[in-house]
Amino acid sequence: MFQVARSPAALFRLLTPRGGVLVEAVRGRKSRNDPKAKSKVDRVKLPPPIDPEEMVVLKERYREYDLIVRALRAEFREEVMRRRYEEQVGSRAEERAKREAEEHRALMEWNDRENLRLRQLREVRVQKQVEEEAKRRAEEILLHEERRQCVLKEKEQEILQLQEDVKTFITPENLEQRIEEALDNPKNYNFAIDKEGRVVKRTVLP
Amino acid sequence: MPMKGRFPIRRTLEYLQKGEVVFKNSVKIMTVNYNTHGELSDGARSFVFFNVPQIQYKNPWVQIQMYKNMTPSPFLRFYLDNGEQILVDVEGKNHKEITQHVKKILGKKPEVLEEEARIAMVSSNPANFGPKKYCLRECLCEVEGQVPCPGLVPLPKEMTGKFRAQMKASQE
Repeated sequence: MFQVARSPAALFRLLTPRGGVLVEAVRGRKSRNDPKAKSKVDRVKLPPPIDPEEMVVLKERYREYDLIVRALRAEFREEVMRRRYEEQVGSRAEERAKREAEEHRALMEWNDRENLRLRQLREVRVQKQVEEEAKRRAEEILLHEERRQCVLKEKEQEILQLQEDVKTFITPENLEQRIEEALDNPKNYNFAIDKEGRVVKRTVLP
Repeated sequence: MPMKGRFPIRRTLEYLQKGEVVFKNSVKIMTVNYNTHGELSDGARSFVFFNVPQIQYKNPWVQIQMYKNMTPSPFLRFYLDNGEQILVDVEGKNHKEITQHVKKILGKKPEVLEEEARIAMVSSNPANFGPKKYCLRECLCEVEGQVPCPGLVPLPKEMTGKFRAQMKASQE
């Protein structure tokens, strides 16, 4: 019956009784069993009066109008349906499908050409990489060989040096001779050097 | 501030709506094979990072899958509904080139897109008034610059039917 309004205007707020919830009047206020209002008890509701001649003329006119409007509606509906049918099933659709297939084929060919081009580039690149790898490996082997040769040479040098050193070794046969030599030539290890490294002073041997 | 990820602009609606590639109706699956390291896969990686979200936004019914580090060179593969498979090599290309290539071979033409937009407009015309579910506005009172809804702001006296009836009655 009564509905509580949620968004009343500011003006309505001023007019409502204090402390009351704002209610709106809604159609069909009375429920089924409510009695008729006292002022309306004797009211007899009559339909509006009609003029028969006017009614005849009006009916005729409305009939024609309805006919025309219905015909127009049917025309338009038919046109729309025909267009939709053409779109989906008719000859235009077949042409369109054929055209699209053609375009698709052309694009696929273009794509294949692109792929081929990239493939050739890739093959060239891979070839270059393989060659570079082989070259690098050969160079590395060479370097390795060279290093080995260097090491061998150094070792030979050391052996030769050792062979020469052998001559200065003190053996049991040389022992007495070398002792005699050492005693005959006393060496003086007390000396001073300047900044250049030259020997400057020597102490006198006792 | 909730900015997630390295390039959070990829998550904005504006960026996603700027995606250029709308696939034809026959494309169902897109597969991207790429490598996580290596200069050749650079373009493919950028493509996956920047452009794939845009593509998925524009084609929500296409399945997109990524495969990482399965092959030495990167490529894209498309599966159409008639069983055809289309291979696209993307080695050494940058992400813009890849998008252009894909758009050329499998994208809808701009005329087709316009046509579709027009058809959609017919069914959801923004000029219609009706329930909020189907139309933008329900009543002219919602438009700026028009007479506001009398339910919220009462009309000036001269516009009410009551007043006009009274005037007419007093004149006669």
